[in-house]
Amino acid sequence: MWLIYALGGGWGHLTRAIALARVAQRDRPVLILTNSPYAEAAAGAAAVRALPPCATADRTRQEVIRAIGECRPECLIVDTFPRGIGGELAGILAGLAARKVLVARDLNPRYVAAARLREFVATHYDLVLVPGAGEGLHMGDRPAAFTTAPWLVRSAHEIPDRDRVRTLLRLTPDEEQCVLVCASGKPDELDWYGAVVRELLAAAPVRLIAAARPPQCPEECWVRYWPAMDLFACASVVVGGAGYNTVAECLAWDVPLVARAWPRAYDRQELRARSAGGRVTLVREPPEAARVALDRMRDHRRREPNFVTGAMEAAVRIASI
Amino acid sequence: MTPPLPPNWKCPRRVGFLFPHECRRTTPVGCPDCQNGQIDDPYYSRVDRYGYSRYDYYDDAYFFDFETSYEPDAPDAGSMDFTEADGADLAEPGGQFENDMTES
Repeated sequence: MWLIYALGGGWGHLTRAIALARVAQRDRPVLILTNSPYAEAAAGAAAVRALPPCATADRTRQEVIRAIGECRPECLIVDTFPRGIGGELAGILAGLAARKVLVARDLNPRYVAAARLREFVATHYDLVLVPGAGEGLHMGDRPAAFTTAPWLVRSAHEIPDRDRVRTLLRLTPDEEQCVLVCASGKPDELDWYGAVVRELLAAAPVRLIAAARPPQCPEECWVRYWPAMDLFACASVVVGGAGYNTVAECLAWDVPLVARAWPRAYDRQELRARSAGGRVTLVREPPEAARVALDRMRDHRRREPNFVTGAMEAAVRIASI
Repeated sequence: MTPPLPPNWKCPRRVGFLFPHECRRTTPVGCPDCQNGQIDDPYYSRVDRYGYSRYDYYDDAYFFDFETSYEPDAPDAGSMDFTEADGADLAEPGGQFENDMTES
């Protein structure tokens, strides 16, 4: 069994883990260990062992160690946090009879230095996979590190056809495309996305994709669907955060992204957005986001999916160690 | 103009080009790092703020001087190099990481 450690808030770690699991589980059992509040919403895509998202740090550490002990994985794949998000892996990796793989998303360099992560990774991991150019540059080159294409939860051939997407988005016959607001991240950030929808209502067709409807978003604009990238064929512009998945998905679809870079303890969203070669426009306030989105949505060309998830190469790399 | 600061205020920024640490100044006024509070993260990208960018260049004479003064009994110079680990020791990581299991 491969066990994917995907602890951390929001959708990011879970979605990246699902992207890998969907590919890898064709050849062996794969289990995802997560404390994301969205674990249930993603059920069916992969086997998930969900830890309570609101548990204390100590309780979560204990649950993680127990889960790893019970699963006895032949391969442990750790997303983003080499020592575990609570440092709980530091004491057990050396004694764990499993191949160890780190998925090296961007990390705050202060943390990398403070926790001596380069040394730790060189000592405890067999392979480092960088899920897209620009991520994971902080980890150095020990052990062997390979950069793959971004790990998308879909490859192009899995995307629903345009008619299906129009149905899912409830677009009317005169609405060819819409502004797609992808609300993810922390619960207290949802209001920002709702405010953006409210700003856009009178000016353009707008839909908000979220697990829960923000108060300011009208019911008729809310679509509860995952993964949002299935729907990008009918998006003239996306408004979202600048987390790993939103940025990678917009770049894959070549759809403009109007992004709010949210502060995170470990992830540097603003840096990622600024490294995206002009396809991402950073904004702060909802009126600004709406104004920029209306400006960017003038590009009405029809987009066809043309991408392959980097998770396929990742699965091959992991299987080969 | 710097707004009034609350009593016992300490600067929450992190400063230090080589070894980031808590600033803890009691006022940003006159601070050479944040420049009177104008810069949120003075060493965010670790690029030099003072116009000097040739940290890796040393004149050959510098190394000749080292060779002539080399003493076999002296401690290994390599062991005195600063490393990332030294930076961590001086960085006062404190409790800001690995405590919030909902972060990203």
